[in-house]
Amino acid sequence: MSLQASTRFALKTCEKLGADEAEAYAQKTRIAEVVLERGEIQSERVKMQQGVGIRLVKKKGLGFAFSSDLSKSNVETTCHNALSLAKTAIPNPEWISLPTTQKLPKAPAGIFDQKVAALSGNEVLSLAMRAYGAAKKQDKRAEIDDGKFSAVTSEIAVSNSHGIDATQKGTLLTGFLVCVAKEKGEVSSMAFEYDISRSMEFSPEKIGKYAAEKAAASLRPKTTESFVGQVVLDPDTATDILLFPLIFSVNADNVQRSRSAWTDKLGKKIAVPQLTVTDNGLLPNGIGSATFDAEGVPCQKTSIITKGVLKGFLHNSFTANKEKRKSTGNARRDNYNTLPVVFASNLIVEPGKKKLDDIISIVDKGMIVRRFSGNVRPESGEFSGIAKQASYIEKGEIRHPLKETMISGNAFNALTNIITIGSETRPTFMNSYLPPILIDKVNIVSK
Amino acid sequence: MMLDTLAKCLEKSTADHVEMRHHRRQTLNISIRDGKMDELNNGAIEGVCCRAMVKGSWGFSSTTSLEEKNIVKALKDATSLAKASKPKKKRLASLADVKPAKDNYTTMMKRDPRKADKEELVHLVRDTDAIVRGFSKRIVSDSVVFSVIDDDLSFASSEGARITQRIVRCIGRVSAVAREKGNLTSAIESIGEQSGLELFEKTPLTQVGKVAAERADKLAAVPVAPGGLFPVIIENKIVGLLAHEAVGHCAEADLVHGGSFMAGKVGKKVASNIVTLVDDGHYPSGLGTMKYDDEGTPTEKTVVIEKGVVKGFLHSRETAHEFKVHATGNARAWDFEFDPIIRMRNTYIETGDHSIDELADGIKEGYFLKGGLGGQADFTGEFMFGTQEAVKIKNGRLEESLRGVTISGNAFEVLKNVDAIGKDFIMRAGMCGKEQINYVGMGGSSLRTRVLLGGVTK
Repeated sequence: MSLQASTRFALKTCEKLGADEAEAYAQKTRIAEVVLERGEIQSERVKMQQGVGIRLVKKKGLGFAFSSDLSKSNVETTCHNALSLAKTAIPNPEWISLPTTQKLPKAPAGIFDQKVAALSGNEVLSLAMRAYGAAKKQDKRAEIDDGKFSAVTSEIAVSNSHGIDATQKGTLLTGFLVCVAKEKGEVSSMAFEYDISRSMEFSPEKIGKYAAEKAAASLRPKTTESFVGQVVLDPDTATDILLFPLIFSVNADNVQRSRSAWTDKLGKKIAVPQLTVTDNGLLPNGIGSATFDAEGVPCQKTSIITKGVLKGFLHNSFTANKEKRKSTGNARRDNYNTLPVVFASNLIVEPGKKKLDDIISIVDKGMIVRRFSGNVRPESGEFSGIAKQASYIEKGEIRHPLKETMISGNAFNALTNIITIGSETRPTFMNSYLPPILIDKVNIVSK
Repeated sequence: MMLDTLAKCLEKSTADHVEMRHHRRQTLNISIRDGKMDELNNGAIEGVCCRAMVKGSWGFSSTTSLEEKNIVKALKDATSLAKASKPKKKRLASLADVKPAKDNYTTMMKRDPRKADKEELVHLVRDTDAIVRGFSKRIVSDSVVFSVIDDDLSFASSEGARITQRIVRCIGRVSAVAREKGNLTSAIESIGEQSGLELFEKTPLTQVGKVAAERADKLAAVPVAPGGLFPVIIENKIVGLLAHEAVGHCAEADLVHGGSFMAGKVGKKVASNIVTLVDDGHYPSGLGTMKYDDEGTPTEKTVVIEKGVVKGFLHSRETAHEFKVHATGNARAWDFEFDPIIRMRNTYIETGDHSIDELADGIKEGYFLKGGLGGQADFTGEFMFGTQEAVKIKNGRLEESLRGVTISGNAFEVLKNVDAIGKDFIMRAGMCGKEQINYVGMGGSSLRTRVLLGGVTK
C-alpha cells in the first residue's frame, strides 16, 4: 500500500472497531549512508525504513501501537492492538481531542531536493571522500577517527478522525568528521565538524578543512589556573549549553508540568535585550521546516524571546488543548514508532554585528570553546563539562590551547550575562540557527 | 522458521563470506507522568540484513521484507556494494577463525513478559508514580516509565553457523523534579536487567522511585558542588561509568587501532595493583549479555586490566585477525539496519573489601559522588561523566549533600590513584552511543580515587 492508502485504511479500521478517535501516522525513509572508521569506509549502506503508528482513543484511554509491516492484514492487527491498549490504559482526564483540520500554508521553499533524494551510496561516499581529502590537504598531521555522511529522504502521511489527511516529503543531507592531529607521539583531543542541508548546497570541503584545523590547533595544550571568566561559545557549543535548556523551558509540556524554570515568566525579562529568539517552522530551506507538523497541524512562526522578554511557548495539540488555545505546530516524532512530543522546528537566534575575530578581541580574560563534552540539566540550567578544542584568551588574543579544563555555570544566568551575540549564523543538529555567543561569569576549572 | 529462510537464501550467495541476520524487536512502553497515563505502547520492528565480503571488502544491505525474493535481493545488493567499494578501500578485512555454532539461547526468565497481564504492569507504574509524587511537597513533577525490549535474533553464515537467540530486557526509569522557592532540580534513577519480570521481586520499582524522589527533594535547596581536584568516593552504582568511559572505550580494538591511549600498552601497568577490569559477555542478568555476538562469535569474560596491567582488548573477528588474537565476541549491532561494530557488553571493576566508612576514612576533604548522568571519552583517555549528588566528606566523616557536577580526569591518573575498593558490588543497566546505541551493563563497588569536579570556582 502507498503511505496514504495505509493511513486511510488504518483510520477506517479503527473507526470500525469503535474508536472514539484515531490517528494513523506512516513514514517511509530512504537513507543512503556512509560510515567512516579509522579514516576508512566502514560501511556504505542504503536503508529503507517504513512503518505506521496508530494512536487510538477510547473513553479517554490512549493506546498506541506500531509496526514496520505495512501489509493490509498487519495494519489491521496493529489497529486491534491499539484498541486493546486503549482499553487497558488508565483514562487521562486531561485528554481533549486529536487536532482538527486547518488550512495548510504553502509548502516552505527548498525542503525537498530531488538531487539529494537520488544520491546513491557511492555518491554519498564521494562526499565523504572529498571531506577526507580536504582534511588531509589542510594539515598532514590530521587523521580522521570516524565520521558519517547521510542522505535522508522521508515521506510522511497522517490521517485522523477529524479530517486531517495529508502527506509531505523532505530531504536532509548531513555529514560529520571527528578528527585528531598527531605530532611527535602526541595525539590531540578529538575535533568535531559537520554540515547540514536540505539540498546539495553542502560543503564536504569545509567539514574536512575545519575538522583538521580545529584538531591541529589543539596540539601542545597547556593548563591554566581556575578563574571566573568570559567564554566564547561557538554555535554548536552554545546550542548544547544555552539552547538545550531554552528549548526545554519553552516546551509547553514542561511549562504545564512545572518542570520549566520559566513556568511563571511569560512577559518577563529573562535575558539581555540583545537576545531575540523565534521558532519558524516555515523558514525557506530550514532543516526543521515543513508544511505541517507530526500531527498534521500547520507549521508557523512563533515568537519565543523578544529583546530579552519571554513571549511564548511551543505547543502540540495536547498541550494547546489543555489551555484552550491553538497548537503552534511543534509536534515532532523521530519516527513512526514514537508518540508526538513538543520540539523546536527551526529555532533562530537573531544575529548581532560582530564577527568571531571581533568578539575574541573584546575578551579581557577567558576562553573560546569549540566542543563541549559534559552534562546540562535542563530544569535547573546547570551545566558542567570538559571544554574541548578550547583556547585561552587574554587581552583580546588567543594565547594557547587548553587541556584538562572544565567549565561550569547556569544557562539561565548565562542568558542575562550575554556580552555579545555574533553575526555568523549556522545551523546545528538541534534544529537551531545561531551565531557564536560571548558570555560572562563562567567558572573555569582546572587542577 | 526464519533461520531456514536465511539458510535457503545463503545458497544463492556468490560472495566469499556472508552473514545474515533476522531481527524482530517487540517493545512495550508504559509511561505515567504526574499521575496521568501518558503512554501505553506496543509494537514491533522486523527485518533482515546481509553482510557480504568479497576479497576483503564488506558490503551491507537490509530490508524490512521477509519475502525470500527480497532477502535474496538484499544479499545481491550487499555483494555488489562489497565489490563496488573495494577500489576505494585501503584496508581490507580478514577474519579470525571462529567455530561456526549451531545453537539457541534464551534469556533466563521466571516471568516471561510476553505472558504478562498488561494491566498489572500498568498498576506497577501507577503505584510508583503515586509514591514519587507523594514523597514531599517539593516534588512538583515526575515520570515513571517501564519498558520491555524483547528481541528475537537469528544468525546464519556461509560458514555454517545457525544461531537463534531470544533476549529479553526489562527497564524501569523514574525522574522526579523538586522545586523550592523557584529553585528547580531533578533526579533520575533506573533499574534494568536482562531478565523477566522477576527483576522487580529483587528491587521493586517503587524503591527506585523513592531513591529519585528523595534525591530531588534533598537537593532542591542546596548549592552546586565546588570545582577543583578532589579525593572522592565514587558510589557503586556509578563506578561502572568509570569502567566504561575511562577505560572501556579506549580498549575497543577499533579505537586502539586508531591510537587510543591503550595502544601499545599490553603488558604495561596503567592502573593501581588493586584494579582488575573486565568486560563480560556472560554476566548473569547483565543488560549487555548475549551468548553469541552479532558475528556469531561466542561471548566470553574478557580481562582488560588485571591487577593494574593491560591484558587485552575487545575484538570483532576482523580486529582479532589484525591483532593476531582470538575474537572476544564484542561485535554488536543495534538492530537489523546496522552492521556489527565493536561494543562493550558488561564492563566492571572487580570488587574489593572496604566498607564506605573505611573508604571515607582516608579522605580529609573530598566528596562522595552519587547518581550517574551521561558520559563520554576521548582517545587520549580524557573522560567525563555526570553525577547527581556530591556528599561532602570532612576528616573521614560524611556531611551535607550538594548538587552533583560532571567529573573528569585522565584515565591513567584516575586509575593509578584508586587506592581502595569497597565490597558493595553492583551491576547496573546502561545505554552507550557509538555510531549506534546499544544496551550495556556497567558495574563495580564503590571506590576511592581523585577526579576533577566541574563545579563552582571560588
